Amino acid sequence: MKRIGEFFRDLNKNRVLLLMVLPTTIWFLFFSYLPMAGMVIAFKEYRYSRDGFWASIVDSKWVGWQNFKFLFSTNDAYIITRNTLLYNVFFIIVGLVVAVLMAIVLSEIANKRLAKVYQTGMFLPYFLSWVIVGYFVFSFLSYDKGMVNHIASWFGADPTQWYTDKTYWPLIIVLVFLWKSIGYNSVVYLAAIMGIDKSLYEAAMIDGANKRQQIWNITIPMLKPLMTILTLLAIGRIFYADFGLFYQVPRDSGALYSVTNVIDTYVYRGLKSTGEIGMSTAAGLYQSVIGFVLVMTSNYIVRKFDKDNALF
Amino acid sequence: MGKFKKSYVLTLVLMLAVSMMLSACGGKNESSGASGSGTSEKPVELIWYTIGTPQKDVDKVMEEVSKYTAEKIGVTVKMNMIDWGDYPQKMQVMTASGTPMDIMFTASWAFDYVQNARKGAFMPIDDLLKNQGQGIVKALDPAFLEGSKVDGHNYGVPANKELPAQIVWRFNKNLVDKYKLNLDNVSSLESLEPLLKTIKENEPGTYALAVDKTFGPYVPYDYIIEGLPMAVKVGDPSLKVTNILETPEMQQALKTMHKYYKAGYVPTEAATLTSLTDVQATGKWFTDKATNQPLADNLWSASLGYPIVSKAASPAMIYNWSVMGSMQAISANSKYPEKAMEFLNLLNTDPVLRNMVDSGIEGVHYKKVGNDAMENLPESKNYDMPTFSLGNVMLTYLDKNDPENKWDEFKKFNESGEKAPLLGFNFDPSKVTTEIAAVQNVKEEFWSSLMTGTVDPDKFIPQATSKFKAAGLDKIMAEAQSQLDAWKANQK
Repeated sequence: MKRIGEFFRDLNKNRVLLLMVLPTTIWFLFFSYLPMAGMVIAFKEYRYSRDGFWASIVDSKWVGWQNFKFLFSTNDAYIITRNTLLYNVFFIIVGLVVAVLMAIVLSEIANKRLAKVYQTGMFLPYFLSWVIVGYFVFSFLSYDKGMVNHIASWFGADPTQWYTDKTYWPLIIVLVFLWKSIGYNSVVYLAAIMGIDKSLYEAAMIDGANKRQQIWNITIPMLKPLMTILTLLAIGRIFYADFGLFYQVPRDSGALYSVTNVIDTYVYRGLKSTGEIGMSTAAGLYQSVIGFVLVMTSNYIVRKFDKDNALF
Repeated sequence: MGKFKKSYVLTLVLMLAVSMMLSACGGKNESSGASGSGTSEKPVELIWYTIGTPQKDVDKVMEEVSKYTAEKIGVTVKMNMIDWGDYPQKMQVMTASGTPMDIMFTASWAFDYVQNARKGAFMPIDDLLKNQGQGIVKALDPAFLEGSKVDGHNYGVPANKELPAQIVWRFNKNLVDKYKLNLDNVSSLESLEPLLKTIKENEPGTYALAVDKTFGPYVPYDYIIEGLPMAVKVGDPSLKVTNILETPEMQQALKTMHKYYKAGYVPTEAATLTSLTDVQATGKWFTDKATNQPLADNLWSASLGYPIVSKAASPAMIYNWSVMGSMQAISANSKYPEKAMEFLNLLNTDPVLRNMVDSGIEGVHYKKVGNDAMENLPESKNYDMPTFSLGNVMLTYLDKNDPENKWDEFKKFNESGEKAPLLGFNFDPSKVTTEIAAVQNVKEEFWSSLMTGTVDPDKFIPQATSKFKAAGLDKIMAEAQSQLDAWKANQK
């Protein structure tokens, strides 16, 4: 009894804060927690029942780990895991460095009008869909009408068949990813930089610190908590590849699969015609479990070194 | 603080449970409503999902349709159109989640008929056909209902239209005339060579042989599953399943394609080209591969806006996929299956209803010229439906350019079709789903570049074959062979 009373007192005391998180809580409840019950489909051979969705789940046959097998059954399993992991590790590291660098550069530009123009220009690609980005890239790399081959021909070079030659694709993928995402990430860091107490810089200047020393000793350390949190969150999604980036941008070209096939595209290609919901659920579950384990581990490591920066 | 956390979690769990109960209740209400309402006097509403770019006037036309059907059979119709590209995915999600619907479009190429019949998306309609669907049975060539059986049951009403499929080469007639080309000897892929050469030399910037990534040369084989590299040779009584890439016909065709590719007859980026609509709009192409139907040249010329001629590249043959080219199925969760069948029966036998669904309201979207001919009015742009997807084609009014004997031509064409070796056989992939997912990935990797001639088959066929084997193609083929043998034994 006493405990319930205490609970309601707490509720009342924090009502404004609780009200603020309410919309997000509801969102998570409906779109993240409620669907979790659907995980059982990963272990079933999903068949439709005429009595609706729940009946379909209950009536479908249990098949154990059968649905997970296609993820590991061939040599491709190695390729897709390697591609997904390596690209994402690279994206996390390079993305972090470039975004922070850009944020610092933007914050140091004296002409604020110009800084806004750069910022908007960098931010814009973030809003484009991958299909459009795919055509953007195509206008550069098309064999007979592409800009790159045109420029190469001025220098007497032979045109390259970009969409069948896999040598450059790891680089192209990374460049396109950076072009699209860096604006957004740097704005996040820029906001954090704007929040740094100006008096710290004034004190440093009085002590005779130059710009580089100021950045190194004030800006970067002040950004560290944000960098840690964003990186931890990114690690949680390390087994998810950006489908559009790996499917639309290389125009689904078979010759490039060894460098562009990732877990998400593999699952899509394998199941788009059979439409086995059980198997796609299994793939999703596999990705989230690995992501969960990785987040927990890296958070544990962060906590060992620096308790304040850990997620929880 | 710890206490607070615990009770918070408790509330969460409670809320979860409540919301789950609520949604479960919601589901129940729906189904209990279903059992009681079949007897009511009021017309019942049928929910109909069909394929095609959503049209502005669908609701307006369906209102008229409903007035007509309410009087005749006591149903009203609500039609939902889903665009071509979205249809398979959206329908998959909707059937999987149990969205209420009564009638839906299905085919071998969109929202796969056989697979979804096996997964339980459709209601078996054998009895319904006997009781409420006699008109359909009478109107259709028996091969349609026979060929669309899955494991011995009918799950869909095929549209009465052309039955066999015939591969043709289409030619841009402007270019044929310009260079006075002789098409008399054209049939095989190889026979195109001198023509392609002329075009390549005289018309720079024109695709001589317009192919995109979906292209595959015609070979006299019947595929077990459309798109997987295993097939049975036409005319082989033993029905032996072979890897299509290892057949001499396919190897020969791919060599020719590679030769054409190197000669520049094929678009350089054919393997990643998703469609040819751009060049078809500008007319900068010479020939491509298409599937024929009677009087198709007129149809193509009208839709492209310049004259087209075609030459046969294969005999007309009745395949599973051509029989199942367009069907309407009754949903497994339909509340009024009998009414739905009555409606489908009327749709396939009653010219008034069929033409209303197809062309809209008379005097608004079209006007009649003569007994069974019509002309589109300007308003028809708001109700432009894909005719073949909406049931019996042979009831529709003729366009003013169509010859009188159009439907006789169709009947003649249907009778001319030979049965493909696998007609009536449907592979059940449930034992080899793991392998199929892996094989599908290998196929996507090699297929377009091989088929369009982009890569050298001498080098890439062995590579593809060994990867197919590693992915388990042999196991799928063995499974297919044993199912096929069992089927053959049953046929006799």
